[in-house]
Amino acid sequence: MCHMMSLRSPMNQCLLKVPTFHPLFKYNRIHSHRHNTFSFTISCNLKNKGKNNSLLSQKIVLSESSPPPLTQDNDDINNGNVPASSKNQKGPYGVVKKLSKKVLQILSNLPLAIGEMFIIAFLMGLGTFIDQGEKPEFYFQNYPEDHPVLGFFTWRWIFFLGFDHMYSAPIFLSMLALLGASLIACTYTTQLPLIKVSKRWSFIHSAEAIRKQEFSESLPRASIQDVGTILMGAGYEVFLKGPTLYAFRGLAGRLAPVGVHIALLLIMGGGTLSAAGSFKGSVTVPQGLNFVVGDVLGPTGFLSLPTDAFNTEIHVNRFSMDYYESGEVSQFHTDLSLLDMDGKEVMRKTISVNDPLRYDGITIYQTDWSISALQILKDNEGPYNLAMAPLKINGDKKLYGTFLPVGDVNSPDVKGISMLARDLQSIVLYDKEGKFAGVRRPNSKLPINIDGSEIVVVDAIGSSGLDLKTDPGVPVVYAGFGALMLTTCISYLSHSQIWALQDGTTVVIGGKTNRSKLEFPDEMNLLLDKIPEIVESSSLSKQTDSMVG
Amino acid sequence: MIFSTLEHILTHISFSVISIVISIHLITLLVNEIVGLYDLSKKAMIITFFCVTGLLITRWFFSGHLPFSDLYESLIFLSWGFSIFHMVPCFKKEKNLLSTIIAPSVIFTQGFATSGLLTKMHQSVILVPALQSHWLMMHVSMMILAYAALLCGSLLSVAILVITFQEAIQILAFTKNLDFLNKSVDFVEIKYMNMNERNNVLRKTSFYSSRNYYRSQFIQQLDRWGYRIISLGFLFLTIGILSGAVWANEAWGSYWNWDPKETWAFITWTIFAIYLHTRKTKKFEGVNSSIVASIGFLIIWICYLGINLLGIGLHSYGSFTSN
Repeated sequence: MCHMMSLRSPMNQCLLKVPTFHPLFKYNRIHSHRHNTFSFTISCNLKNKGKNNSLLSQKIVLSESSPPPLTQDNDDINNGNVPASSKNQKGPYGVVKKLSKKVLQILSNLPLAIGEMFIIAFLMGLGTFIDQGEKPEFYFQNYPEDHPVLGFFTWRWIFFLGFDHMYSAPIFLSMLALLGASLIACTYTTQLPLIKVSKRWSFIHSAEAIRKQEFSESLPRASIQDVGTILMGAGYEVFLKGPTLYAFRGLAGRLAPVGVHIALLLIMGGGTLSAAGSFKGSVTVPQGLNFVVGDVLGPTGFLSLPTDAFNTEIHVNRFSMDYYESGEVSQFHTDLSLLDMDGKEVMRKTISVNDPLRYDGITIYQTDWSISALQILKDNEGPYNLAMAPLKINGDKKLYGTFLPVGDVNSPDVKGISMLARDLQSIVLYDKEGKFAGVRRPNSKLPINIDGSEIVVVDAIGSSGLDLKTDPGVPVVYAGFGALMLTTCISYLSHSQIWALQDGTTVVIGGKTNRSKLEFPDEMNLLLDKIPEIVESSSLSKQTDSMVG
Repeated sequence: MIFSTLEHILTHISFSVISIVISIHLITLLVNEIVGLYDLSKKAMIITFFCVTGLLITRWFFSGHLPFSDLYESLIFLSWGFSIFHMVPCFKKEKNLLSTIIAPSVIFTQGFATSGLLTKMHQSVILVPALQSHWLMMHVSMMILAYAALLCGSLLSVAILVITFQEAIQILAFTKNLDFLNKSVDFVEIKYMNMNERNNVLRKTSFYSSRNYYRSQFIQQLDRWGYRIISLGFLFLTIGILSGAVWANEAWGSYWNWDPKETWAFITWTIFAIYLHTRKTKKFEGVNSSIVASIGFLIIWICYLGINLLGIGLHSYGSFTSN
C-alpha cells in the first residue's frame, strides 16, 4: 500500500560509534555463540519532529553486554539542535496540516492512482476513435441524436465533455492533473521515506522469522562468517552483528522507481510549460521571398512571451527536392538566411526534413512544399511567371497546374495551353484541345511547339512549407526523458536482501528479492553450495579465525 | 533476383522449422517429456533465429536501409524479437515455459508476414523523407522489441488466466455463494479452499494456495516469468516512446502530437505501468495483475496493427493501404 511509512511515524535513529560500515569490521571469536559474544546494539531513538524529519543518521553502539534483542528506546531524546516542534502546531495551522495530511493520504492511495491511469488510458483511446478538431457539422452528422452510438452517445455528449478536442478537454486535463497530484503525494509520502528505510539495515534475530522469508535454507555445520564472505564475493553489501547477518544487493533497483516518478513529474511540468508558453506557426514561402518570424508565430498560452529574436527576417534562398532513381521524392531542402533588424545575415543553413534550424529559441522545420510558379518563354519573349494552383484529385499525391491563354484573351471561351506538374522535375504540357503535347524538364532549354507558339520551360519555382515554433518546455521535458530512461533501466535491477542467523552450528539463511524472483533461488543455491562445511565442531573457532583472517 | 530467392528460401526454412518446434512442444505438453526431443526443439529454434536474422540482413543489404520501413519488415523483426526472447532464457536454464508460448507466436507473426495479405509489400520500398534519420533504428527496434517482450509476458498472463479460470471468475464475480457442486472433481479442491478462505478471496494466498503443489508452482513460475519479461518490455517501451518523442521533435515539430499511434503506444505504456503497480501490493497480485496484462495484450495489437489498419495519422507508412 502506498502509505507504508506515514509521516507521523518517528524516524529511527541508530547511533554508531564504529568508524566504518565495513561488514567484517570487528571480528570476534565465537566460542559459543550465546555467551561471550562481542555484539553491537542498535539503539534506536525515536523522535517526533513532525514533518521536518532531519536526515537519518545511523549510529551503532558497541556494547560488551550480553546480546539483547533489538531494542527500541521510546524515550524522546533530542539532540538539542532540533526543537520539539510538534507542540507548537495547534490551532488553525494544525487543522490545515491535518487536512493536507488527509488529502495526501487519499491521493497516495494506489487503487486511486490505478483508477486514474485506467481513466486516462480510456479517454486517450476514445480520443483516437472520435475524430478530433472537426467542425461541429461533422459531429452532428456522425453522432446524430436519432441514431445514437451505443444507444446513448450523441453529439451532445461530445460537446458537453469536450471530446472533439480530447487532449485539451477539461476532463482529460484535470485527470492528468489529478494523476500528477497522486504522483507527488505518493513520491512524498511513500517513496521518499522508503529511501530512508532502505538505507537502514535491519537484522533479524529469530530463526523463525528468517524461515518465513521467500527463500530460506538451513545450513548445518556452517559459520556465518563464511556466509558473509561468500555473499561479499557475490557483490552483496554485508553487515555482521554477532550471530546475525544482513546483506543486500541492487539497492539502486529499489530506489530508482522514486527517480521514475520524479522524472515523470518533470515531463509533466515541462509539458505544461510547453502548452502554456509556446509560439507556433506555419508558412509557405516561395523561393526568393522573405518573411518575419514574429508575423508567423502565434502564442499558444498565457505564458507565451515574444523575444527579440521575433524581429528576425528569414529569406528563402532556394528550395529544392532530391529524387530517387524511380522518381520518388527522397528529401526536401530549403536554404534559409536569417537577417537581423539591420539586414545583416546572422545565420545561414540548409534545412531538410529531420534537420531543422535552431536560432535563439526558434526552431524552423521543413514540413511541406508546393509549386508556386512556372517561368516560361513564349516565342522567345519573357520570361513570364505563371502562378501554379494546386489541383484536387483523388489520391494523396500533389498536382499543380497552370494555364497559358492562346489567342484572344478577351473572348468568353478562352483557350490555351495547360501545364501540369507533380514535382519540380518535369512539366506535362497539353494543347488547347486538351491533347497531350509533351513533357519538358525545367532548365532543359528544349523548346516545345504547341498550337503554333514555341514554349520553353525556364524554371519551376517551388515554395517551401515551414513550421516555426518556440518551446520553453523542451529542455525540461528532455531532462525528464533522460532521467526517465535512466531510472527505468536501473529499476530493472533487483533488490535482494539476505538475512542469516547462527543458531548453534547451523546457519539459518533466508532472503527475498523484489524483482528477479525466478532467478533468486537458483542464484542463492549456487552461492550456498560454495559455503564450506565445518567438519570438526571443536575447531570451529580456529577455522573461522583463519577464514576471515 | 538472388535477393528474392534467398529471402524465399530463408522464409520457408524458418517457417517449417518452427512448425516442427511447435509439434515437438505439443508432444512434450501432451505426452511425457522426452529429453532428446526437447534438445531438438532448442536447436531448431536456434536455426530459426539464424534464418530470420539472415532474412533481415539480406533485406538490409539489398534495400540499403534498415529493414524497419514497413509492416512486413517490422513483422519479420517482431518474430526475430520473439526468437531472441526465446533464446536468452534457453542459455540460462535447462527448461522453460516460455518456448511453448513463444514458438507459436513466431510462427503466427512469420505466417502473417509472409501470407498473401501482405504480398504487395514484399518488395522493399524507398524511405520517405521523414524516416531518413538515425532515430529510425533506435525508435523502431526498441518499439518492436518492446512489443515482442510485452506480448510474450502478457501471453503468459493469459495462460495464468486460462489455468485459474475458475478462480478468476470467482474473483471477478466476487460472490460468496458460488455453487461448485456441479463442477468436475478437479475443482473440488478449489471449492474446499474457497470454503476455508471465503473471507479473503482476493488475497494472494487464495490464488496460490491450491492444494495441488505442482499446479501452484507452475502458476507461480508463469507469473514470475511474466513479470520479468513485462518489466523488460516496459523498459524497451519507455526507451522506444521517448526516442520517438525526441525524433518527432526533430521531424514533425513537436515532441508529442497526439498522433493515434503515439497515443496508443502511450496507452500501452499506461496499461503496463498499471500492471507493474498491481504487482506492488499483495491485494492485487495474481489474477488481478494477469487481467491487466491480458488487457495489455489486446492493446498492443490495437497499437501495432489496428492503428495501421485504419491508416490514420502521421505513422501511416506502416499501413496496409500505402503504396
